[in-house]
Amino acid sequence: MECPARRGRRRGALLGVALLAAPALAACGAQDSGPPTINLYHAPEQNLQTVVDDCNREAAGRYRIVYHKLPRDADGQREQLVRRLAARDTELDVLGLDTTWTAEFAEAGWIREWTGETKAAAARDVLPGPLESARWHGKVYAVTKNTNVQLLWYRSDLVDQPPRTWSEMIQVAQRLAEQGKPSAILITGAQYEGLVVNYNNLVASAGGRIVSEDGTRAVVDDGAVRALRVLKDFATSGVTNPALENHKEDGVRLAFQAGDGAFQINWPFVHPATKAGNPDVFRNMKWARLPGVDPGQPGRATIGGANYAISSYSRHPGEAFEAALCLRNPEHQKFSAVKDGVPPTIESVYDEPEIAEAYPMKETIREELKDAALRPVTPAYQNVSTVLSTLLSPPSAIDPERTAARMRTELQDALESKGVLP
Amino acid sequence: MAVIGGAETPARKAKWALLDVVVVVYALVPVLWIVSLSFKTKGTITDGNFVPREWTLDNYQEIFTTTEFVRALVNSIGIALIATLIAVVLGTMAAYAVARLDFPGKRALIGVSLLIAMFPQVSLVSPLFDIERALGLFDTWPGLILPYITFALPLAIYTLSAFFREIPWELEKAAKMDGATPAQAFLKVIAPLAAPGVFTTAILVFIFAWNDFLFAISLTSTERARTVPAALSFFTGASQFEDPTGTISAAAVVITIPIIVFVLFFQRRIVAGLTSGAVKG
Amino acid sequence: MSIVRTPSAAEEARGRTGRKPSAGKRAERRLAWLLCAPAALVMVAVTGYPIAYSVWLSLQRYDLRFPAQREFVGLQNYVIVLSNQYWWQAFWVTVGLTVVTVAVELVLGMALAMIMHRALVGRGLVRTVTLVPYGIVTVVAAFSWRFAWSPNTGYLAETFAQGEAPLTDRFASLAIIALAEVWKTTPFMALLLMAGLALVPDELLRAAAMDGANAWQRFTKVMIPVMKPAILVALLFRTLDAFRIFDNIFVLTGGAQGTSSVSILTYNNLIRGLNLGIGATMSVLIFLAVAVIAFVFIKVFGTAAPGSDREGRR
Repeated sequence: MECPARRGRRRGALLGVALLAAPALAACGAQDSGPPTINLYHAPEQNLQTVVDDCNREAAGRYRIVYHKLPRDADGQREQLVRRLAARDTELDVLGLDTTWTAEFAEAGWIREWTGETKAAAARDVLPGPLESARWHGKVYAVTKNTNVQLLWYRSDLVDQPPRTWSEMIQVAQRLAEQGKPSAILITGAQYEGLVVNYNNLVASAGGRIVSEDGTRAVVDDGAVRALRVLKDFATSGVTNPALENHKEDGVRLAFQAGDGAFQINWPFVHPATKAGNPDVFRNMKWARLPGVDPGQPGRATIGGANYAISSYSRHPGEAFEAALCLRNPEHQKFSAVKDGVPPTIESVYDEPEIAEAYPMKETIREELKDAALRPVTPAYQNVSTVLSTLLSPPSAIDPERTAARMRTELQDALESKGVLP
Repeated sequence: MAVIGGAETPARKAKWALLDVVVVVYALVPVLWIVSLSFKTKGTITDGNFVPREWTLDNYQEIFTTTEFVRALVNSIGIALIATLIAVVLGTMAAYAVARLDFPGKRALIGVSLLIAMFPQVSLVSPLFDIERALGLFDTWPGLILPYITFALPLAIYTLSAFFREIPWELEKAAKMDGATPAQAFLKVIAPLAAPGVFTTAILVFIFAWNDFLFAISLTSTERARTVPAALSFFTGASQFEDPTGTISAAAVVITIPIIVFVLFFQRRIVAGLTSGAVKG
Repeated sequence: MSIVRTPSAAEEARGRTGRKPSAGKRAERRLAWLLCAPAALVMVAVTGYPIAYSVWLSLQRYDLRFPAQREFVGLQNYVIVLSNQYWWQAFWVTVGLTVVTVAVELVLGMALAMIMHRALVGRGLVRTVTLVPYGIVTVVAAFSWRFAWSPNTGYLAETFAQGEAPLTDRFASLAIIALAEVWKTTPFMALLLMAGLALVPDELLRAAAMDGANAWQRFTKVMIPVMKPAILVALLFRTLDAFRIFDNIFVLTGGAQGTSSVSILTYNNLIRGLNLGIGATMSVLIFLAVAVIAFVFIKVFGTAAPGSDREGRR
C-alpha cells in the first residue's frame, strides 16, 4: 500500500473531511528513515515473534522484520494474501504459505523464484519430501519453514502391536468392539481438507494417483479406486465414531483423549495436548507409522507444514530472501519445533537433544518424511480439494467405481477451472 | 395479549413474571453456555458440562494482557458508534423526505437502497478493497465506517420511513395552533413520537456494525482498525490444530457487554409513543 | 380502519396547487433532495462501482489464477450455473431454510414483541435480554452451537442425543442450523415489531374492546393494520438476510450432508476457487432471487411500502 501524503488532522465541519482526515499512518512515518521494513505475513504462531526479534538482532540494522499475523484458518490466510497480491500490494515481503499453495502462487506470478546462492541455501540439508513441496515445474519458489505428518496413535493397553494395514486395523477394532472395549478408529472425516489428506494417504499407500504429474489431467487410477474402497470399508465396518462426518483434528484428539477410541490418525500436536488433557489415556498412548493398504507396503503420509516465499511485488527482495532464510535457520526451526509444535524440515535438527525430548516420536516422523506423499500438485489445488472433499463425504456413501467416475469428470473441470465447484 | 387497561393484580403480575422467565431462559441459555466455556479451565473445557467444574479467570486475563484484544475493543466501540450516529442522522433525513415529502426520484432512492441491501456483500468486498487502497482508506477507521454506513442505510431508511408514516403529523399543527413555536411543536410533539423508530434503528445499526466480520477482516490488516469479530480469528491456540475456545468465548462475553449497555440505554426510549399515558398509567 | 388521519404534507401541497408546480412545491422538492442527498451519495459512492463491476465480471470467464484465459463470454456463466446440480441443490436448501426460519421468526418475534411491549414486570430486563442473542458475534454463537451438539464436548448432545452425532445427519443438521439461525435473529424481528406495536393507539384498542371485539379480533383488525409497515420492513430485511445464510452453515457443517446454501457455494467458487466469473454470476443470481422475493412482499403489502403512491394511507 502506498503511504498517503501526510494530511493535517484538522477536523473539518464537513463529514467528508472528517472521514478522510484520519489516515495519518503511523507505520509510514517509521519508514522514512532507517533500515527497510520486511513485512512478514504468517499464520498466528505464539512464539514466532521471538524468532523475528532474534533475526532483527542478527540483521544488525540491515533490515527490520515486522510480523503481521494472518487469520488462524488456512482459507482465511490464503484469501488475505491473494487479495493483496492480486492488487500488486508492495507492502508484502515474506509470505508464509501452506505447502499446497506453491503451484498456485508461482503460476500466478505472485512469488519469486529462488536462484543461485539463495536457492542452494534453501535446499541445504532439507528433507526430500518437504523440499519437493516448495517446487513447481522444476523450479524452487519457497524455502521450507516447517513440516508435518500424521501418525497412527494407538492405546497400548488395548492393542499389543500396531496394525500394519488398514484391513488389519479394522479387524483389531472389530475384535475390541466385540469385547466391549473402546474400539473406534478416529480420523478427520468432516467435509474439508482433513478428509482429503486421509484419502491422499490411502491413494499414495496404494501406489495410485489422483492427478497426473504435470497437474493437468484427472487420472484417478486403479490405486485411487482401491483407496476409495478402503475408505468405504472402514466407514461401513462399525468401527467409526458416530461423529466421523463432523470430526476435524481437534475433535478427533478430544474423542481419543476422552477414551472413546483405540486408534486415531492425527498430527503430532496430540502428544503434548493429550499429555495435558488426560494423563490416564496419555500413559498408554503409543504411535506408529500410518497403516498401509497392501501387506508389506508401509502406509505413506501426506506432507503438511508451511514454507516461506518472497512476494514478486516486494520492494526489498534481497533483504526479504535473507530474512526468510534467517527465520527458518536450524536454530530457529529447533526453537519453533519445541515451542510451537511445528516439526523441522532440516534433517540435522532432528539430532538435537531438545528435539528428542519434545518429540519422542521423531524417528517415526523422520521415517514417514523419507517417502512422504504430496497432495496433487496443481495451481488449481483448492478446486481439487473442494471437489474431493465433497465427493468423499460421507465416506460411508462412497461407491468406489461410481465415485471414481464422478471424480474423473469433476476433477478435470476443476483443474481447468470450468464449471461450478460444489 | 393486549388486555386494555386492566388492573395490576398480583395474579397478572405472576403471569407476566412467568412469561419473563420463559423469555430469559430462551434467550440466555445458549449465551450462558458461552459464558461457561469462558470460565472453564483448559483441562475441563471439553467435558460437556453446562456448569464449569473448575472455574478460572485465565481466559479473561489472557485476552486483556495483549494489545490485540484491547485495541480491537477500542476500534469496535469507536467505529460502531460513529457509524451508528452518521447512519441514523442520514437515514432520518432521507426517511423524513420519503415519508412526508413529494419529490421526483423518491422511488429511485427507495429502489437503489433496496438493491444495495440485496446484493451479496461477499462479491463487493474485493472491488471495495481496491478502491480503499487507492484512496488510502484501507486499514483505517473511515475505511470501515463508510461501508457500515452504506450497508446500514437501506435498513435505516426503510425502518424510519415506516415509522414516520404512522406518526399523526397533524398533532404538530394542533400544537402550533395552541401557541407552540415550530421548535417547541417538533421537540414536544413530534420528536417523542419519532423516538421509537429512531432508537430501534440505532440499536439495529449498532449491532450490525458491531458484529460485522466480512468487512472487518477484508478491509483491515493491522490492529489500527481491526474490530473484535475480526480479531477473534487471530487468537492463537496451543497449536495449529487446537482452537482457542476459552479465549474466544471470553472475548465474546466481553464484547457482548457494550451491546447490553447500548440496548439498556436505548430500549427505554422505545416506549409506546402514543400510548405512554394509557399503559404506564 | 378508521384512525383519524390528515393528508400528508405532500397531499396538502397537491391540494393547494393543482397541477403546476408552485413555489411551495418546488421548495418541497428542493428540501426533499437536500435531505436525501447525503444518504444517496454515500450509498452510491461506496457500492456503485463494486456492484457494476460484479455484474461486468459475471459476463466473463475470469479465474484469478489463469489471467491469460480471461475473455468475454456473454451469458455463458449463467448457463453453466443454472444447469448445475450443486447450484439447484443449494438453492432449494436455501429456499427451505429461508421459509422455515422466517416463518418461525415472525410468529416467535411477534410473541416476544408483545411480551417486550406489555410486560407488567421486568420490562426493561426482558427487552434487554431478548436482544442479547442478536448481539452475540454470529461466528462465536455458531461455534458454541457446534461445540454444544458435538458428542463429548457439548451439553446438548449429552442431553438430547447420547451416543449420536446430530451434525452428521442431514435432517438433524438442517434443524440445528435453523435453530441457531432462529435463535440468533428472532430479536431483530421482535425489536422491529415491538417498535411497530408502540404505534398502535391504546384508545383504539379500548374502543374496539368496548365494541365487543375479542383479543384475536383486536389483534388482526386493529393491531396488524397499524403495524403493517413495520411487519413489512421486518419480513423484508429478515428474508433478504436469511436467503444469504452463511456463517451458521459454514461453522456447523461446512456445507456437508447436503446442507450447502447458495452463499456457501458462492464462497467456494469466488473466494476459495478464485473463479471471479462464476462467483460473480452466483452473486447476481442470488441478488435476482432476493429481488423477486422483495417484489412479492411489496406487492402483497401494497401501500405499506415506502414510496408507494397512496402515501401515508392504509
